[in-house]
Amino acid sequence: MKLKPFLALAAAVFAVSAANAADKVKVEYWSNSLSPKFDSVMKDLTAKFNKSQTGIEAVWVDVPWDAFQARVVSSVAAGNVPGLVNLPKPWMDQFAQQKIIQPITKQVGGFKNVYTSGALKDVTYDGEIYGLPWYQVTAVLFFNKELLAKAGVKEAPKSFDELLKTARVVKEKTGVAGFAPKLNDGFAGWFLYDGLPVVQNGKAVFNSPAHVKLVEEFKKAYADGVIPKDAFKMQFEEQIAAFGSAKVAMFGEGAHALKRTQTDSPKVYAQTGVAGFPEGKGATPFGGFLFLWSVPKGFKNVDAAVKLGQFISNDESQLAFAKASATFPSTNKALDDAFFQAGAKSKDPVEQATAVAASAIKSSRTLTVSGLPDEAAMNQKMNDEIEAAIVGRKPVKQALDEAVAFWNSKFAAGK
Amino acid sequence: MKTSSYTAIAYLFLAPALILMGVFTFWPVGYNAYLAFNDYSIADATATWNNFAHFKYLYGEELFHDALKNSLLFLLVVPVIQVAALLVAKLVNNKLPGMTFFRAAFYIPVITAISIAGIVWLNVYKYDGILTWFLQSLGLIEEQINWLGEPEIAIYMVMVFTFWKGIGYYMVLYLAGLQSIPTEVEEAAVLDGANAWQRFWKITVPMVKPTILLCTLLSTIAALKAFQEVVVLTRGQADTYTALYYVYAQAFTNFNFGRAAAAGLVVTFFCVLLAIVQFRFFGEKK
Repeated sequence: MKLKPFLALAAAVFAVSAANAADKVKVEYWSNSLSPKFDSVMKDLTAKFNKSQTGIEAVWVDVPWDAFQARVVSSVAAGNVPGLVNLPKPWMDQFAQQKIIQPITKQVGGFKNVYTSGALKDVTYDGEIYGLPWYQVTAVLFFNKELLAKAGVKEAPKSFDELLKTARVVKEKTGVAGFAPKLNDGFAGWFLYDGLPVVQNGKAVFNSPAHVKLVEEFKKAYADGVIPKDAFKMQFEEQIAAFGSAKVAMFGEGAHALKRTQTDSPKVYAQTGVAGFPEGKGATPFGGFLFLWSVPKGFKNVDAAVKLGQFISNDESQLAFAKASATFPSTNKALDDAFFQAGAKSKDPVEQATAVAASAIKSSRTLTVSGLPDEAAMNQKMNDEIEAAIVGRKPVKQALDEAVAFWNSKFAAGK
Repeated sequence: MKTSSYTAIAYLFLAPALILMGVFTFWPVGYNAYLAFNDYSIADATATWNNFAHFKYLYGEELFHDALKNSLLFLLVVPVIQVAALLVAKLVNNKLPGMTFFRAAFYIPVITAISIAGIVWLNVYKYDGILTWFLQSLGLIEEQINWLGEPEIAIYMVMVFTFWKGIGYYMVLYLAGLQSIPTEVEEAAVLDGANAWQRFWKITVPMVKPTILLCTLLSTIAALKAFQEVVVLTRGQADTYTALYYVYAQAFTNFNFGRAAAAGLVVTFFCVLLAIVQFRFFGEKK
C-alpha cells in the first residue's frame, strides 16, 4: 500500500470514530478489586451495556482495594472523576458525610423497589439515596460436626444465646474454643446485631444495662476460653486457619471463606456443617456486607451514570455476577432464582452455605455506625475500652461509661 | 574557569535531584504545613484558615496525647539498635570465612517487605506461637502469653520487630564507617597493649562518631514515625496507637486532612527538636 492513500484512509477512519465518540457520553466506572478474577463477567456486562446504548459508552476500570479510597478522593479533589465508583457500605457513609459522592434519590425513584429492603436501607444516608445496591455477602454459621458431636450437641444453635451456650459446652467437653466471634473490626456491629442502639439523638448510648449485659457475656466467654485468646486479632485469614486446624468449633463468615478450608484442611471440610447465622434482636444475621455504585461529586452526567448503574445492578446482570463470584445479588427477583436454592440438599458445605445464606440475605444489613464527627478516634476509643472490658482489665460498666463519655465529648465538640 | 560559572554548573548538576526533591518532598512538606492551619474540604477543594483550630483540638485530644506518648516511648529502641548495630558491624568486619553470609543474613530483614515480615512475626507473637513455645520449652514461662494483646508489653514487642527489621540497615552504615578507620591506628593500639574493649571505646567509637550521629538521627526519626510496623502487627490495638497512626486515621478514615496535617506537623516538631539535641551531643564541635 502506498503511504498517501493509507494516510488518507486512516484519517477518514479516525474522523468517523472521533465523531462517533464525541456524540457519546463516556461513563467510566471503577470496580473494587475484581480484576483479574472477574474480568470476563465485567467485560461481558460492559459490552452488553454498550450494545444496548446509543448515547452512552461505558468504560470499565478496576482499582485495587488498598488504593481505592485514595484514588476516589484524589480524583474528586482534581475534578476529574469517573461516573460510578464501587463502594462498600461503610465507605459510602464516609464519602456521603464528606460530600465526595452525590445523592441520587431523584434518579432512582422510579426503579428503587427492585432492590431488597435491607439493601435499600443500606444505601440511604441521612434520608438520601447515595448508591445503587450491588452484590452482597452475609455470614452463615460453620461448625465442626465432630467437635459438636463430642460435646453431645445435636443441632446447630438457633439463637445467639444458644450459640454461646453451645460454644461453652464444646469448650468444657473438648477443650477447644467453641466460637470465634469477629471482634477485630470493633464491637459496634455486635450491639447493632443484638438490636441495641449505639447512637440515639446525637448521643452515645451504649452504656445501658442491656449493653453491659451483652459485653459481660463476651467477657465471661473470653475468661473461660469459650472464645479464643486472640479473638481481637483474628481477621478473615486467622479465623479460617483456626477453624481449619480444629482450634475453633464454630465461626461465622460468608460462604466463600470455606473454599480455603476445602483446599487447606480437607479433613475438617468433610466434617463441616452449615447453618444460618442466628438472627439477633436486631433482626439481621451478623456479617452482612453490601457493595454498591455511587456517583462521585463533580460528575456532570448523573443520569447517564445512573443508567449504567441501573443496568449493572439489574436482575440479569446481578445474577450473572453472583454466579461468577459466589456472592449474592441485592434485587428481590434475582435472589429468588433457583440457582441459589440448588445447593439446599447438597452434601457439599459450600453449596449448602450458599442456599442457607440466600434465605437470610433479604433481611441482611451492613452493621455499621456512621456519621460520627471523629470516626477514627471514636472507634479507636470504643474498641480499646471494650477490649479492656472483655479481656478483664477493666469493669465492663466503667469501660463503657468512659467510652460513652469520650463519644459524647466528640459529639459536643463536633457541632 | 570563573567562580560564577563554576557555581552555575554545580547547580546544573544538582538540578535533576533538586527538581525531584522539590516536587516530591519540599512542595508536599510546605503544602502540609499550609494545610495544618486550614480546614480542607475535598469535595470542593477549598482550604479555609481556621485560627489554629486543629492545634487547639489536638491539645485537648487524649487519644493524640496517648499516641504521641507511644511514639516517644518508641525512642527506647534507638540506643538499643545503635549499640547492637555497631557491635554486629564490628563482628562482621572480621576477615573470617563465612562473613559474607552473616552480613547478608543480618541484612535480609531490611529488604523483606514489611507486610510479609509482619505475617511471620504475627505467628511468632501469637499466644500459642513460636515465642511462647520457645520460652515454655526453656521453662521460663508457664502461661501462654498474648504478646501483642497485652497493653503492658505489646508496644515493646512491636519495638523488637522494629529492631529485627532495622538492625541490618544500620549495621551496613557502621560497616562502611568501620572500614574507613585506618588499620594502622588499631595496630598501634595493639602494640601499646590496649585490649579489645579499650580499642573499641577509645578508637572505634570516636572514629565512627559521624556515622553514629547519622544513624542515631535516622533511627530517631524512624522511631518517631513508627507506623507500618503498627499497621502490620497490631493496628493500634493494645495501646500501640502511635502518632503517625493517628495522622493516617485522621486523613484516610475521617478525611480530615487539615487535622492530619497539623498532627503531622507536631510530629515533625519533635523530630527537629531531637535532631538539634543529637547534633549538640554527637556533632563536631567547631
